[in-house]
Amino acid sequence: MSETKKTDDETKKEISNLSRRKFLKDAGLVIGGTTVGSMAFASGAEAQQQEKGDNAPSETTPTSAQSECRAPIELTVNGGRYRYHVEPNWTLRQLLRDEVGLTSPKDWCGGMGACGSCTVIMNGRPVLSCLTLAIECNGAIIETAEGIAKTKHPIIDSYIKWNAFQCGYCTPGFVTTAKALLDRNPNPTEEDVRDALGGNLCRCGTYQQHPKAVVDAAEALRQK
Amino acid sequence: MKTIKRFEHINAKTIDEAASILKAGNASILAGGTDILGAMRFEILPDYPEILVNLKSIPDMEYIREEGGMLKIGALTRLEDIAKSNVVQAKYTALAEAAHRTASPHIREMGTISGNICQFTRCWYFRLPDNRFDCVRKGGKKCYAMTGENRYHSIFGAVKGCVAVNPSDTAPALVALNAKIKTNKRTIDAEQFWDMVKPGSTILEADEIVTEIQVPTPAKGLKSSFIKFAIRKSIDFPIVNCAAMIGKGEARICLNAVHNKPYRCINAEDVIRGKSINESSADAAGAAAIEKAKTLPGDRNKWKIQLARTMVKRAILGCA
Repeated sequence: MSETKKTDDETKKEISNLSRRKFLKDAGLVIGGTTVGSMAFASGAEAQQQEKGDNAPSETTPTSAQSECRAPIELTVNGGRYRYHVEPNWTLRQLLRDEVGLTSPKDWCGGMGACGSCTVIMNGRPVLSCLTLAIECNGAIIETAEGIAKTKHPIIDSYIKWNAFQCGYCTPGFVTTAKALLDRNPNPTEEDVRDALGGNLCRCGTYQQHPKAVVDAAEALRQK
Repeated sequence: MKTIKRFEHINAKTIDEAASILKAGNASILAGGTDILGAMRFEILPDYPEILVNLKSIPDMEYIREEGGMLKIGALTRLEDIAKSNVVQAKYTALAEAAHRTASPHIREMGTISGNICQFTRCWYFRLPDNRFDCVRKGGKKCYAMTGENRYHSIFGAVKGCVAVNPSDTAPALVALNAKIKTNKRTIDAEQFWDMVKPGSTILEADEIVTEIQVPTPAKGLKSSFIKFAIRKSIDFPIVNCAAMIGKGEARICLNAVHNKPYRCINAEDVIRGKSINESSADAAGAAAIEKAKTLPGDRNKWKIQLARTMVKRAILGCA
């Protein structure tokens, strides 16, 4: 009991000794360190992905005891070919995030298909990756927000120009849905855009900006 | 995110193969997957399916074609394709509009017409995660909505004690257009297709699979329309929806989301049949449609009666 109290007292002393300036300095170092680390990781991951895209399909081998149930699938993600062994209950979203390493398909509504933030383009259709089984994606051509950004699609600049987001969490879902619309309809009206983006939710409420951004991107695409 | 529990996934090659798997045991059909996968993720059903039979691997199940005086739609045709089809838009307006107003654009890209007519009810007691309410539709003894929160529930009474409503948008359009639903065993009139068989909403047997939707081509002079009231315009299930086909002395009007199955408004049809369509005749038909309507205990769903009346009126005016 007394030992515990001693420790508490020591802790309090330490905290009181810690000046505000020292705290900020230390915290700054930590944050700086994190940023550098994640940047290094990101560039490494990108290099790996490009390698995958250019060469033969990458392969993961099943390691768990349940691997006998896994089915082999081969799919194209953002131009790169991938081969995986998947469990029947894996969703496409799980596969993209946990195996391929693409974090743009978000989870918001908990996997009931209500928010649109996990949208990816599959064979030209905007689909919800949380309600698509990975096992059924054999031979599918998938495009995510990362792939759209990589091709420097005008929709990205247009979204920035029109400030069509605040926190940005729903943005990958909006961008993929909008890209799928532009692929089919190169000259959409604002009403068409509202209709197509009707299944994407944005809790910051930047709905007004999306039709303007997408119509503007369509214009930029036509001039290209 | 809650992960989906393990199951076995089988790609069926033929309808017969799929039917034999369904017959053998605890299996469920997987078409678009937008309803069943959500239901499995949240474990709302009393029995978790051990096997999912994928029908998308069966060839030639996705088509829209007009032949022999009728429109034939493959069971796995996506709702978006039906909504966008020029043929459907021109002659089967109510169906095109109903498909267009179903759910969100993403779900329309994934969801199929057969899935839309066979979906589970949206009653919140039925759908609460982890199967927490052992309600009549799940084989229990009590309907929790009867005395509980029932503002979205039936205004035409209970069926076998259950007051949940059918949430399909295409269902009333198919009834109004006098469609037939073809399965691997028989052809059923759309009007007879829905019933409360627990926990599904159709009269289909365990190993029966919808293969085609057949809609007779409406005679010249017949017009159809569909109207839907939902809380959000582009994404929601209907609170009340209504489809109508009127003209040449014929009238078929069907409400949905007001009863256990699509509710054909025979009274309203009698009022409007053969008459010219205008504000007052449509209003009279709307009033006739809700003659038998009654609220549930607590009167929380009283607003739906007024809505149903207006939906019938506007659906009729849409056929003018």
